[in-house]
Amino acid sequence: MPQGDYIELHRKRHGYRHDHFERKRKKEAREVHKRSQIAQKALGIKGKMFAKKRYAEKALMKKTLAMHEESSTRRKVDDDVHEGALPAYLLDRDETTRAKVLSNTIKQKRKEKAGKWEVPLPKVRPVAEDEMFRVLRSGKRKTKQWKRMITKATFVGPSFTRKPPKYERFIRPSGLRFTKAHVTHPELKCTFNLEIIGVKKNPNGPMYTSLGVITKGTIIEVNVSELGLVTPAGKVVWGKYAQVTNNPENDGCINAVLLV
Amino acid sequence: MVQYNFKKITVVPTGKDFIDIILSRTQRRTPTQVHKGYAISRLRQFYMRKVKFTQQNFHDKLSTIIEEFPRLDDIHPFYGDLLHVLYNKDHYKLALGQINTARNLIGKIAKDYVKLLKYGDSLYRCKSLKVAALGRMCTVIKRVSPSLAYLEQIRQHMARLPSIDPNTRTILICGYPNVGKSSFINKITRADVDVQPYAFTTKSLFVGHTDYKYLRYQVIDTPGILDRPFEDRNIIEMCSITALAHLRAAVLFFLDISGSCGYSIAQQAALFHSIKSLFMNKPLIIVCNKTDLQPLEGISEDDKKLVMEMKAEAMKTVIGQGGEATDDDSVLLTMSTLTEDGVIAVKNAACERLLNQRVELKMKSKKLNDCLNRFHVAMPKPRDQKDRPPCIPQAVLEAKAKKAEETAEKEKRKLERDLENENGGAGVYSASLKKHYILADDEWKEDVMPEILDGHNVYDFIDPDILMRLEELEREEGALQGLEADDDFEMDGAELTPEEQAALAEIRKKKSLLIQQHRIKKSTAESRPTVPRKFDKDKQFTAERMGRQLSSLGLDPSMAIDRARSRSRGRKRERSPDRGGNDGLDSMEVDGDQQNKKLRVRSRSASRSRSKSRPPGEVVPGEGLKDTAQKKKAIKMAKRSSKKRNKDARRGEADRVIPTLKPKHLFSGKRSTGKTDRQKFPLLWIHIQQPVASHVWGSCIRYAVQLQQPAIVENLFVC
Repeated sequence: MPQGDYIELHRKRHGYRHDHFERKRKKEAREVHKRSQIAQKALGIKGKMFAKKRYAEKALMKKTLAMHEESSTRRKVDDDVHEGALPAYLLDRDETTRAKVLSNTIKQKRKEKAGKWEVPLPKVRPVAEDEMFRVLRSGKRKTKQWKRMITKATFVGPSFTRKPPKYERFIRPSGLRFTKAHVTHPELKCTFNLEIIGVKKNPNGPMYTSLGVITKGTIIEVNVSELGLVTPAGKVVWGKYAQVTNNPENDGCINAVLLV
Repeated sequence: MVQYNFKKITVVPTGKDFIDIILSRTQRRTPTQVHKGYAISRLRQFYMRKVKFTQQNFHDKLSTIIEEFPRLDDIHPFYGDLLHVLYNKDHYKLALGQINTARNLIGKIAKDYVKLLKYGDSLYRCKSLKVAALGRMCTVIKRVSPSLAYLEQIRQHMARLPSIDPNTRTILICGYPNVGKSSFINKITRADVDVQPYAFTTKSLFVGHTDYKYLRYQVIDTPGILDRPFEDRNIIEMCSITALAHLRAAVLFFLDISGSCGYSIAQQAALFHSIKSLFMNKPLIIVCNKTDLQPLEGISEDDKKLVMEMKAEAMKTVIGQGGEATDDDSVLLTMSTLTEDGVIAVKNAACERLLNQRVELKMKSKKLNDCLNRFHVAMPKPRDQKDRPPCIPQAVLEAKAKKAEETAEKEKRKLERDLENENGGAGVYSASLKKHYILADDEWKEDVMPEILDGHNVYDFIDPDILMRLEELEREEGALQGLEADDDFEMDGAELTPEEQAALAEIRKKKSLLIQQHRIKKSTAESRPTVPRKFDKDKQFTAERMGRQLSSLGLDPSMAIDRARSRSRGRKRERSPDRGGNDGLDSMEVDGDQQNKKLRVRSRSASRSRSKSRPPGEVVPGEGLKDTAQKKKAIKMAKRSSKKRNKDARRGEADRVIPTLKPKHLFSGKRSTGKTDRQKFPLLWIHIQQPVASHVWGSCIRYAVQLQQPAIVENLFVC
């Protein structure tokens, strides 16, 4: 025992108080009442924080109790019908299934041609033009209003140079330009910070796609070389599409889900 | 000089607590209210302030943590090594590095989000950006929370380290476990180190302080070291090795020559030789402990040889330090901590050696030359060869000699306690209390004393004068009882003399009279109207009566009566001149008469059949008011002063009242030209080209009033 541990030294030499354990037990028993008093009396932000913490504790307690209560019983198991299992009287008929498979491939090919993909966010809220652009007044008397500043997150690419200020109509402020996105792999459930290669499609219109505006639902192409994905042929995959799942201008970052 | 006080480090909160503290601080210290309708720059500023404030707080708190924890490279190598041994330098540095990284990350986050906030164009957007910023900062802290927990544990342990000053005079005690190091330090200092029979009782360094030649010495007790290769040593042993390596101290190597610690002298000697490199440049003393179990002379030859070898090594260090030819005693000492035999000698030897070494070093150093020329020890020059010893008078010498004799005798005298110890200890031996009885014949000491002899109680006859004494005692008691009886003796009539009886009767009569009177008079205010003394019809309490009473007592009443008269002078002088010339008594009568007169006047008015009421303004003579007008004014003022103030600011009669908000005559009827809504707010616009005199205004307003359109007047805008 180090020299400074006075409490332990005293306990070693003189033992505990004669009523120490009883007092301790009683104090702990009183904690329950104290806590309930605090829960009832705490007001304002403190009350809210306490309530939240307490709720989480109670939920956990309930779960553990339920876990302890569940007993191992034996239940009758219904054997699920195996996928594709045929009853005996249909055993030699299997043309129909093949036909189904075929039509699926045809459907997929058609979809590819049409350019419609299955994406995590099929529908997004349309963004109005006045929400997207802010009017900038220019000219000597500030009466000309043909310039627009984009208020959403944008991606411009490494070789971007502005048009001469006299001619540029759409201004993409450098504070709102992003180069990286937090991309989540849907199966691995982990998130990587990947570079954006480009904006593939913005659901609000082709104009926004060409401007490079990133809003919720936009399909972007990201550099996945650090994931180390390989095609069946053996080639290294370095670019994949991802769909943006948040509003980047409100959160200050781009969160996306990889489209596998 | 850095104070090695690690107790001053602030508490490191856990990750969760840290976040709670900072966020609630932000919530308290920044403005909390903001509305959608504010100007956008104000909204932006509001949220930017919150982000920056949070970042600043995180920065401050993390900086204090980083700065307060000692840097292992900047402190004394002893502490650096000790902390490395205890906490692992790399782990420690990593934890602090992570905190530093967290601080930078938070700074970057704040910078980015403040930049983004500049483009926020709605309350919702600014608010979400602020929430995102704070959330990210808190995530950084959450990731770093294991480091925070680790640092908190280190801090708690560091605060309990003994405060060892690495630069002052130190004595270090080392040796195998269980050789008696902790007992030694308990003996010479006030440190209360645990002493137990098992090995490794002491698990860390202990510090005690002791004095020698008016200087304070630190004594450091180390955990026992086992003879192992260096790499295999555990943390506890490494503490002692660190202390040995870095502290410039006198080393006491303890040797248990009795072997009761469980290790033979050979093993201990082997340990000595393995760590002797650490004893370089340090005054070394080999201490043989537990000599009460085994004296140094009684050990075997081989062991003696080993011991001599060790001594030789120790001598080498002495010679290395300046070649003083010290005697054996200064290098190899024996002692026993149980019997306290030789403990002080060891301490003195160690302190002496250390002091000499330090003084020598200081003399050799260059710093001393600066001070040396400032010292000068003055010795008085002897003026002749005569020897002048100190002069002690003969009486003092004799007294001293006698005292010495007495103390010697006292020491030689056998105490009862020694007797007890010899005969078996406290429970076994019972002292015979009759040993010191003073009796006529010494043979009677052990005799058993009877209690009853010949039918009498022996104790009744111990004193020859006992009967006499008993009689005296009884007499005293009787006297005392008589005194007490006197105190609560009741007064009987028969005991009094006739004059006293008469006086007693008088007193009783008077007392009963007074009580009766009081009972008559005693009525509460509700039951009877109190008549003030002025209207005291009985005229009991006159000055004459007072004079009579005073003279009956035998005092001269004239002075008192004069005083009383002067007090009661409230009457107008003109009333008394026709009665003037009487002596004091009569004039009091006059006063009484006056009073009576007033009463009579009153009763006359009260005896009328019908009461006469006065008009409000009529002046009653005697009130002090001049005329009706003044009285009326006085009444008015009285009423106004008692009026209650309108502290509730309720509507009063002075506040404007619009009896009808929409008078029909203004809101009805057709108009030939103009819109009908103009009727609702009839406005009168008066365009003036030149300034207009006030009387013109007045006429305007009067004209409007005549039109009976007060609404116009009210809505008169002047522009």
